[in-house]
Amino acid sequence: MDADQTTSKEAEASIDLLVIVLDTNPSQHIVRQNPQNLTQILEAVIAFGNAHLMQKAQNKLAVLSCSHHATNFLYPQPRRPVELRQVDGQYEAFSLVEKTVKQQLGSILMNAPRLSSPCESLLAGSMSMALCYISRLQRNVPPGVKMHSRILVLTGSNECASQYMTYMNVFFTAQKLDIVIDTCALDKTLSLLQQGCDITSGQFLKVTQLDGLLQYLLWVFLPAPQMRNKLVLPPPPKVDYRASCFCHRELIDIGYVCSVCLSVFCKYSPICTTCHTIFKSPGPLPVKGKKKKKTDKQM
Amino acid sequence: MAEDEHEDQKEYRWETGYEKTWEAIKDDEDGLLDGAIAEIIQKAKRQRLAQKAKQNRLGMMRHLFIVLDCSESMSVPDLKPTRLRCTVKLLEVFIEEFFDQNPISQLGIIALKAKRAEKVTDLTGTSRVHLKALESLANVSLTSEPSLQNGLDLALKTLKVVPPHASREIVVIIGSLTTCDPVDINLTIDELKKEGIRCSVISLSAEIRVARYLTQQTMGTFGAVLDDAHFRDQLMSQVDPPPAAKTQHNSLIRMGFPHTKSEVEGKDAPLSMCMCHIENLEEPSELSTTGHHCPQCNSKYCELPVECQSCGLTLVSAPHLARSYHHLFPVPNFEELPFESMPASAGSSDQDRDGGIRDCYACAKALGPVADKSVFKCSFCKQFFCTDCDIFIHETLHACVGCNTIPGVDGLVYQQTTKPGEDDAHPGSSKQRVQFGI
Repeated sequence: MDADQTTSKEAEASIDLLVIVLDTNPSQHIVRQNPQNLTQILEAVIAFGNAHLMQKAQNKLAVLSCSHHATNFLYPQPRRPVELRQVDGQYEAFSLVEKTVKQQLGSILMNAPRLSSPCESLLAGSMSMALCYISRLQRNVPPGVKMHSRILVLTGSNECASQYMTYMNVFFTAQKLDIVIDTCALDKTLSLLQQGCDITSGQFLKVTQLDGLLQYLLWVFLPAPQMRNKLVLPPPPKVDYRASCFCHRELIDIGYVCSVCLSVFCKYSPICTTCHTIFKSPGPLPVKGKKKKKTDKQM
Repeated sequence: MAEDEHEDQKEYRWETGYEKTWEAIKDDEDGLLDGAIAEIIQKAKRQRLAQKAKQNRLGMMRHLFIVLDCSESMSVPDLKPTRLRCTVKLLEVFIEEFFDQNPISQLGIIALKAKRAEKVTDLTGTSRVHLKALESLANVSLTSEPSLQNGLDLALKTLKVVPPHASREIVVIIGSLTTCDPVDINLTIDELKKEGIRCSVISLSAEIRVARYLTQQTMGTFGAVLDDAHFRDQLMSQVDPPPAAKTQHNSLIRMGFPHTKSEVEGKDAPLSMCMCHIENLEEPSELSTTGHHCPQCNSKYCELPVECQSCGLTLVSAPHLARSYHHLFPVPNFEELPFESMPASAGSSDQDRDGGIRDCYACAKALGPVADKSVFKCSFCKQFFCTDCDIFIHETLHACVGCNTIPGVDGLVYQQTTKPGEDDAHPGSSKQRVQFGI
């Protein structure tokens, strides 16, 4: 009896927060292929979110949509309560999630500017917004209560190197705050998000069959990170942490790093193209007679 | 000298900060103090942010020695429980933070015991060694006086041979008001100045003339602590990389980016031992298939960053380098505005929103005129943020949420920060963002 009470108290004293970042960009390959896919993804996400809420009364959920023009909160929406009536005996909180998410997404898609050409989803930005939201809830947690947070990213987009810095900042912030980042790739393998999952010890999964999305979600992403090591989950992918040089964008094994701005180059050059620093000591440069004269003149 | 006095006079301006503090607290119409108190808290939070100076070129590769006083004066219980224990506790936090923010830097600890200087840990890039050493330092017997000169000399001897592209620093934490030196300390100070080693001093008791002179000569900072919170702030300000010294040589450093070998010719990688633990008797190295292999000599390491023991190549992974980019491309400070100036529809695309409700763009917190007297606006994306998000974005996240979620704004930020002539370190940043490939 006592043991029961303590475990239940422990469970009560911890909150699991799940923030789902859903890519709703219409230029995703899978959406363009078949617009019905988005509906299917949405249904799966709602069911998954409800499954998370069902596990414990203290669990919390937030859903963000990352569209081509903006990032918005789909749930919760404390400002605009949806009219609720019990349907088919479903628990009100679950139908609230479903109604709010659908209504919000509907109004966002209706108001969105028309897309002339495919554009990238700013997923890194949406994740940074999720982090701000998590850190706000974290600040307001009553003393004695623990909150475990995680972010699940569902996307079918490609990732873009231009967001590299934001991604990295997001990953390191998440690592610092003990937030796990999970990624469910719907279309392509995403090496940046793979790194993020590895840094924050989250799960990365590339879904091969969209029909079984809910099944995948419930299997891989529903269990809390603390109990995942007891389960049989897909093995972690091999993450390539090699750097790419700034000059040719090729993955390199050995390179030269500027001591001022830490840019990576594959060959020695007397001036840094990023910060325009002139390097004084041409130490490792294989100097031949003619070459040396040239560099001397430049200096 | 005249300059000195001028600065000293300025010093006591802090006292004015305590004038009429009761007048700052005014109750609102309902007779409540909440609003006024919230404002004071907000101001204090903002102060540290504003103090962060903008720097162009930073000494990103730091070689830092912590010189810690272990003399009798460290047993004084004015910092709880004693000066030494308080310092050790704070240093633990500092070391973690230091390596988190300066991933390819090195740190060493020197203890000043009974007029002698003793190197506790050599310059290394892993926090584990230092934390272990600190644990044992907490229990040393505290006797006699310290010798500042001996400590500086020992640090100087080691830092002299460090490659010239690195930024070399010494942070002295001293509790004693006196120092017992073998010869004239000015000789050491001149030598430090000549070598371009930046010395900072944190005094746990009071301002010491020779320590202040040392910091002035070597471009460091001096601080005397008021209490443990102030001590913590002083120590944490050393975490951010300092501006690059003039004497620092810029150069390209050869580095290796190891990759994990999981398969060799279609088979699983053979079992091997890592080089980092091979000579460590307490934690012998284990046979395993995973690890990072030096691309030059193929020796294996279980942790990065590390300097290869057999060929001397610095081994890092790309995210390690990325970890310190935020120092070079900081988020520009937000503009502080009164709550009233925030348009009601800001932060949301909803049109049917009723008038008086305003949300923080990043965390969707409902802002009210009482709790949030001032809001913060990013001058690039024109979004409004609450105080907490402002601090979170600048101190932890290092990326503006608005600029990164609204397409089109993103590139703009980096173009605008690169006004010609304003700062040198930035011209390539927008280009750099594009160039970062994987």
